[in-house]
Amino acid sequence: MTLTSLIAGLMPAMLGDATGPTFWMPEAASTVAGEVDWILEFINIICYVFLVLITVILVYLAVKYRRDPNQHRISDEGPTHGMTLEIVWTVIPTGLVIAIFWVGMVGYINLRESPDDAYEVSVTAQKWSWTFTHPEYGVTEGAELTVPLGRPVRLIMTSADVLHSLFVPAFRVKQDVVPGRYSDLWFEATKPGSYQLYCTEYCGKDHSKMLATVHVLPYDEFQTRLGKLASEYEDMPEADLPRYALTRLYNRCASCHSLDGSSGTGPSFKGLWDRTVEGKTAFTDGTTLKDYMGDGGEYELAENYLRESILNPGKYLVENYANVMPNNFASQLKPRQVEALVLMMKNLDDLVDEDGNIIEPPASEEMTGEGEGG
Amino acid sequence: MATQDSGIQRPELAANDNYLNHTRGIWSWLYTLDHKRIGVMYLVAVLTCFFVGGVFALLVRTQLLTPDGTIMDQDSYNQAFTLHGAIMVFLVIIPSIPAALGNFVLPIMLGAKDVAFPRLNLMSFYLWIAGALFFIVALLTGGLDTGWTFYTPYSTDPNSSMGGVIPAVTGAFILGFSSIFTGMNFIVTIHRLRPPGMTWFRMPLFLWGIYATAVLQVMATPVLGITLALLAVERAFGIGIFDPALGGDPVLYQHFFWFYSHPAVYIMILPGMAIISDLIAVHSHRHIFGYKFIAYSSIAIALFSFLVWGHHMFTSGQSALVNVIFSAITFSVAIPSAIKVFNWLATMYKGSISWNTPMLYAMGFIFIFTIGGLTGLHLGTLATDVHLHDTYFVVAHFHYVMMGSALIAMIGGLHHWWPKITGKMYNENWGRFGFILVFIGFNVTFFSQFMLGSQGMPRRYATYPDDAGFQIYHIFSTCGSYILAIGFFITAGYLLQSIFGGRRAPSNPWGGRSLEWQCTSPPPHDNFSETPTVGDCYDFSVLEWSPDEQGYVWRSDIPRPEQAKKEQSAGH
Repeated sequence: MTLTSLIAGLMPAMLGDATGPTFWMPEAASTVAGEVDWILEFINIICYVFLVLITVILVYLAVKYRRDPNQHRISDEGPTHGMTLEIVWTVIPTGLVIAIFWVGMVGYINLRESPDDAYEVSVTAQKWSWTFTHPEYGVTEGAELTVPLGRPVRLIMTSADVLHSLFVPAFRVKQDVVPGRYSDLWFEATKPGSYQLYCTEYCGKDHSKMLATVHVLPYDEFQTRLGKLASEYEDMPEADLPRYALTRLYNRCASCHSLDGSSGTGPSFKGLWDRTVEGKTAFTDGTTLKDYMGDGGEYELAENYLRESILNPGKYLVENYANVMPNNFASQLKPRQVEALVLMMKNLDDLVDEDGNIIEPPASEEMTGEGEGG
Repeated sequence: MATQDSGIQRPELAANDNYLNHTRGIWSWLYTLDHKRIGVMYLVAVLTCFFVGGVFALLVRTQLLTPDGTIMDQDSYNQAFTLHGAIMVFLVIIPSIPAALGNFVLPIMLGAKDVAFPRLNLMSFYLWIAGALFFIVALLTGGLDTGWTFYTPYSTDPNSSMGGVIPAVTGAFILGFSSIFTGMNFIVTIHRLRPPGMTWFRMPLFLWGIYATAVLQVMATPVLGITLALLAVERAFGIGIFDPALGGDPVLYQHFFWFYSHPAVYIMILPGMAIISDLIAVHSHRHIFGYKFIAYSSIAIALFSFLVWGHHMFTSGQSALVNVIFSAITFSVAIPSAIKVFNWLATMYKGSISWNTPMLYAMGFIFIFTIGGLTGLHLGTLATDVHLHDTYFVVAHFHYVMMGSALIAMIGGLHHWWPKITGKMYNENWGRFGFILVFIGFNVTFFSQFMLGSQGMPRRYATYPDDAGFQIYHIFSTCGSYILAIGFFITAGYLLQSIFGGRRAPSNPWGGRSLEWQCTSPPPHDNFSETPTVGDCYDFSVLEWSPDEQGYVWRSDIPRPEQAKKEQSAGH
């Protein structure tokens, strides 16, 4: 313990107040980042000393005792063993690794033990997107996670399919997200701003696109923002719902369903509405959507088929696509949000251009729920 | 025990008879029980796979030149890094030193005519071929995109991963048996076939390293075999073992996998360390320093390696207490590794150090292994590993150890024994030039990945955000990989050239004392006509340079151990 406190005493002197990126580490924006960075620098210093020592000795010996290529000299000099030396180079590294282990363990325990008053967010990971739910506000976010500044945040995480891992370099935290169980992670952000969040456990095709942004807001701004997110789609006029779905919800569809007609892991949304109304969609079992549509059919209206495809995606599989879409959207989306998604598909041609780029709304039109998100 | 069909009893023919021309024809190679020929076949096969794995590495590096990728889509990239890893680990590094060089050198170092079980040895080789074929089958049956680690439930869900998982794990399963048989063979050979005078502590240190490796191969590999069999059963029949949707536990798979794969890291590095111990002593013409400490440290590393697998799982959801215990044990491995490095340096003190290609590779190894070992401290430390885990820092660390150390040692050993294997000397200046390119290329490629990782770049990413500052490091790394590739092509070029146009190799070009330098280059079919007697294999003072031979010979004023023994018994 005395060793730790001694080393900890040196820490501010070595670290200063620097929170910007250094040669080794990215920007530091959480309460634990300072300690992690200090431990890293502590290990680095030991590494520099040994690397320089070994390299200098190696080069010195290689030069000093270089054999003259014409001499073919055999050396019968020099000791063949030395107990004192062996003890020295056993004991010194042993002492150093014990010290490194100890500071690393103390730092780790601080990293793992979340404070009691932490603000909780539930996280669901699925190929290849994140869902962040704020139980206190009843708000669900996709590619963005909004958290308060200066208050511990605890993420309770699980996966809907395979292993994932949540990593925010600026906070120096990482934890695997495992299907069939919950894992947790906590941090307390110290600087307002936006930080990159990565999936760091390989999870298949679009692993490298399973990204999100963490927005750190001062507490009052955070409250306002979450309050707004909680109610925006409930109070929204129906005409605004398609654009709301496109800007707020579509990011969870984007890794599989394109807007420009290109085929991804799932069918493109472009032209989907027309295909559906005409019943052209072919299924893997040889039937087409026409067989299920119309009076007395399973789907009286195209809207019903699209709604079912979101909530129960495995029921009919579109030809050439596998049954890989998560089937947990019923628990993640409110009925009005599903309605918004169906309306988005119906009105997609008004929202995006030929290449799938979002068309900006006319300036006069006032959009609710649009704004500072990005 | 001279064979009847050979000309070895007739001295005028014996001089030209060697294992390469002893019998002729393709079948005399494919059916051979000669450990030397099996070693050469392994060498050709392993180097072929090294080329294929290297091509995948260059594809991966080229893809990462720009944030959005340059030449591949996501699926192709995922296959490229998976195949690079699986080929390099299972088909190249694990068999490279023990099965290829070890097969050739080990029995000769023991003064034996062959390994204890020559038929089992040939079977190991054909199991290796079968395992490699299954990897090709995996490519043809839908590809492989799980990463070489086959993490569940991704790998066991046919809807997630590509179709080649079962053929690939079958291949790895078969390769495991190849590895187990080689290990068993070497353990028995070292126990039973040592020559008179070679006590355990008179063995060349190469044999200590191979022995420690063989113990790991025999004890750890079965666990991998069982794990992969369970994985295949779950994927094929839906029997729940690892997939929580079927009632299984995905973290259990990680425990099983790393229980083998951490010792496997030492299956890769221990033979490398073993080669370096001998290269440093021979090319410094100087008695090894701290023989027993180097030998015991190999055994210590082998034992500790079974107890540290959990350090691959610090962020997996393992309990904090278990993490603390695994972290503590992990640091114990650092100490025997440090002991080896310091003993190698002490061996060079007051030596007569040749700056030839094998010694340059050995000195390059010390530098690279020092970086690889020291960066292990960052990863064994809990607080920093949480940040660094699954980033390029880990990628850089294990390439410094597995590629920069294990494979560099293998290439150093290949140059060291090349005259013995082929009977030809390669061009020393090209050798040095090749080393410089490999050394620079390697460090440029992988040192930049340390910064990349600590800055936050996750591994196994086909694309990356363009505002995170990663690209400059990727450009460095990719340029380095091209330099490295040129270095390896030059190396392949002058080594192949030497077979056709190289100078004839003397029996003992470097001044080595272990027994392989006492038989001709290349060795005769039976290695030794009579079992040799050995002394201290690191006492180089009995050798002198012979200008006629262009190699080292026994000093004329000192009786050879056999003569000394005969004179002794005649006196009785």
